[in-house]
Amino acid sequence: MEESDKLKILKELLFTEEKEYTDSIAEKLEILSKIVYEKQELSHKVDPIIDDKLEIFVKEIPKTLGPTITEALKEEIKNSQDAVVEALFPIIGKMIKKYIAHEMKLLSENISRKTKSAFSFKNWFKRKKAKVQGISTGDLEITEYGKPQLVQMFVIEKNSGLLIADYSPLSENTIDKEMVAGMLTAIKSFVEDAFEEGNQNLETIEYELFTIHIQNFYSYYIAAVVAGAYNINFKERLENQILEFAQKYISKKDLESNELFTKKIKKYFENEIV
Amino acid sequence: MKLSKKVVLLGHFGVGKTSLFRRFMDDEFSEDYKVTLGVQIKKNIIEMPDGRELSMIIWDTEGHTNIEDTRKSYLLGSNAFIYVFDLTREETYKNLPNDLDYLSKNYPKVVIKILGNKCDLINEKETLLQLKNLNINYNCITSAKTNKNVQDFFLDLANEIAR
Repeated sequence: MEESDKLKILKELLFTEEKEYTDSIAEKLEILSKIVYEKQELSHKVDPIIDDKLEIFVKEIPKTLGPTITEALKEEIKNSQDAVVEALFPIIGKMIKKYIAHEMKLLSENISRKTKSAFSFKNWFKRKKAKVQGISTGDLEITEYGKPQLVQMFVIEKNSGLLIADYSPLSENTIDKEMVAGMLTAIKSFVEDAFEEGNQNLETIEYELFTIHIQNFYSYYIAAVVAGAYNINFKERLENQILEFAQKYISKKDLESNELFTKKIKKYFENEIV
Repeated sequence: MKLSKKVVLLGHFGVGKTSLFRRFMDDEFSEDYKVTLGVQIKKNIIEMPDGRELSMIIWDTEGHTNIEDTRKSYLLGSNAFIYVFDLTREETYKNLPNDLDYLSKNYPKVVIKILGNKCDLINEKETLLQLKNLNINYNCITSAKTNKNVQDFFLDLANEIAR
């Protein structure tokens, strides 16, 4: 037996206990490294602990962080009100739109129900019309309600803003037509001067549910106040009608006589439903 | 028979155009000075001696130190201009001859009236002498505050433009 073998045997005899101990540590280390390096194994062990802690944390948030967050938000909103309004505006707009659409649907359904229950020839015709158009009677009523309607018409001298003639298909109203003619001319002049676009003219003014349609001629202009949905179709029809009226019925003599002109305009637009 | 006539008030800032306008239209006066921006328009219906009704549409324009800065579209189609100056401030009438020249050249058919306002604040003899020395011609001196000559001036103008 050689010297080295003897030494080996002696080591084994002397360190048997220690060897067992190191072997067990090595085994444990191997298991641990397997847990740490293999994700699934690790998560299997750690996840329940994290979940428990998270659950507690979430439960505690209102108590611990709540007041701080609320205070911070309050401060932020206070300091940047414009930004908040700016950000909320489109959202609120969408909400209002949605709400109106919903309410309109309810209104339409309500009208449909009521028209169905009440029989009259008018309603019968309406139902037929709606059927032909492929819409409900409620929708038809709403469309007809929103129809553009001529409320007032003014013929105004272009330069002076003096009223030449006017016509209103509705009952007499209290507005001072001469003042309106003057102010419309002042607004028109201001806009046309301000943009310095040569011969371009102001063509429409909108306010709330009304639109003022302006049609310019050489020495005068016609302003028609329209209630309801002023759309391209209506605009075209109105334009054509005013053009035809100007071409066929307005002479130089008319521009000098308010009474004569007023009679003419009334007669023409009374019969021509725009 | 109803007539409509357009009358435009012109002149420097703070000469009392709006005060005259309010005195004639509503018989009101206020010491508060508010600058007119753009234009304001009001109407007064005047019963003429011959029975006709005259709708006087008055355009009270914002003041300008240079008459040429007045928006031209406001002046178009006018029947009369009332050029108002402040009797207490020489700078509001020292260019009057040039301004009148500009108006009569560009708007030859329009009646032009010159009015010295705030006569309640001056020594009439001294100021009128000064105006004479400066060769300033005027049609009337008024006070929007005391209503001196205001109604008569507008009624005379109504008679003239209704002819």
